[in-house]
Amino acid sequence: MSLLEVKDFGVEFHDHLTPEKVVEHVSFTLDEGEILGIVGESGSGKSMTALAIAGLLPRKKMIKEGEILFEGKDLLTMHRSELRGLQGDEICMIFQEPMTALNPTMKIGRQVEEALRIHHKDMSPEDRKKRAIECLENVELKDAEAVYDSYPHELSGGMRQRVMIAAAMVGHPKLLIADEPTTALDVTVQAQIIKLLKKLNKKEKLSILFISHDLSLIEQISDKVQVMQRGRIVEQGSVEQIFKDPKEEYTKQLIGAIPEVKL
Amino acid sequence: MKQIFKKILSMLLTLLIVSIVVFAAFEIIPGDPAISKLGSNATPESVARLRAEMGLDRPFLVRYLSWAADMLKGDMGTSYSYNMKVSSIIVDKLPITLVMTVVSMVLTLLISVPVAITLAKYAKSGIDRTGHIVNQALMAVPSFFLGILMTWLFGMVFKWFKPGGFISYKRNVAGFLGYLFWPSLAIAIPKCAMSIKLLRSAILSEADKEYVRTAYSRGNSTMEVLYRHVLKNALVPLITFWGMTVADMIAGSIVIEQVFNIPGLGRMLLTSISNRDYPVVEAVIVLIAMVVVVMNLIVDLICRKVDPRIK
Repeated sequence: MSLLEVKDFGVEFHDHLTPEKVVEHVSFTLDEGEILGIVGESGSGKSMTALAIAGLLPRKKMIKEGEILFEGKDLLTMHRSELRGLQGDEICMIFQEPMTALNPTMKIGRQVEEALRIHHKDMSPEDRKKRAIECLENVELKDAEAVYDSYPHELSGGMRQRVMIAAAMVGHPKLLIADEPTTALDVTVQAQIIKLLKKLNKKEKLSILFISHDLSLIEQISDKVQVMQRGRIVEQGSVEQIFKDPKEEYTKQLIGAIPEVKL
Repeated sequence: MKQIFKKILSMLLTLLIVSIVVFAAFEIIPGDPAISKLGSNATPESVARLRAEMGLDRPFLVRYLSWAADMLKGDMGTSYSYNMKVSSIIVDKLPITLVMTVVSMVLTLLISVPVAITLAKYAKSGIDRTGHIVNQALMAVPSFFLGILMTWLFGMVFKWFKPGGFISYKRNVAGFLGYLFWPSLAIAIPKCAMSIKLLRSAILSEADKEYVRTAYSRGNSTMEVLYRHVLKNALVPLITFWGMTVADMIAGSIVIEQVFNIPGLGRMLLTSISNRDYPVVEAVIVLIAMVVVVMNLIVDLICRKVDPRIK
């Protein structure tokens, strides 16, 4: 059984007079320790799919179709409290903007520990702190103790994204959803974050759903790739398949659009 | 630390300016304390004698400096009309106005925070819309009018308190608080309405921020997101508002003390202005300015504590 199995998933918005389909017939699987890259331009439905898996789509004003099976259980139909039990513990998410994704008035330490406070109430505060510091060290933050006691505005963008990853990893999740996690960062930091995610993937057998509009990043990190356009999957396959031998015209165009750096 | 030092310096400067302005104001406005004390039939000689006795014949600057020097030493001078030390009059009146302000503030907080949370929770529903209309109406009604309304309704119709029957705290603390509850409520209601409006929209705008999505992604329920994350951030703008509200309440006591016949600071200020009782007026206004300035400092310190980004 795959860790994650998305079957014929669709989202239809009902917040306007005419319903609007933003995701249609999306199906894919993700195994333990695998990295799936989803690539597409904005509006292609990739973020919507990611939010749905993370359980972050509002329940009102939209209709969701199909199934999202996490370890065999459908995230779309399970009870809200059961879903909350998975969020932050088994399924974690990091976002595009590390500058705003952290609570500005809460110390980093408390935010990193939060998933433990919610899901592992029996843990002592000392153990929680130990685990948080360990996670901050795992994401290669120097002086983790000092970071633990600082506020988000005291850190750089790259550091904050590392904090977000540390906070996601704190409860040993099985699935990490990374929605454009490096888009807001500069290129050198981007490369470091990619390397870090790969390391966590190997070390913790973490499955990653990596979403980006940047094909070269997708090529670097993913085991398999799916290309989305206008709410549908255009093409899916292994990295080699997609980049060496793309079948669809849209995929070819995307690959052709990667700027080549010649020095 | 340096910022706080700067703040205190600007506080002192503000007080200096206020004191000069207050002192100068009585130079400009018509009226003579000697005449108002002796009556308009007094002979020019006796008026001149009294003016000399009061020190009013000295030049403006000399009078200001000697008054300011006395104030710094804690000597607020002697009232013209009561023949009492100004400080002892203020000590007598200040607790009344202060207690009223504190009760109003407590009522404002106790009412506005839960109501704002409820309205934000049910935003755009029937409750929220009704709340908005009621709120808008209460915001528009001035405290003194509410005071009159309450005196009639709760005092005369329901007889829950005796209109005009102020009880001194020296005689009966419970009775004193029981009477002050009503004017405090009259002061609090419009402030509550404003706090509710501000806090409700602050909560809603915070709820749209991305850190809220992060909080949900960690498995927080809606209530947990609200109390652990949103509320603290939403309170930052409110703290400033509440700080100004306290200052406003003390200044506003002038009117409400008239309506409820309360012998507090505000009423004393009013009588002293019409009696041209300069020492009392000057002391009270400097005192009110001091409260405002100190409130500002406290608000600033709390804001820094709550929002670490303020530096």
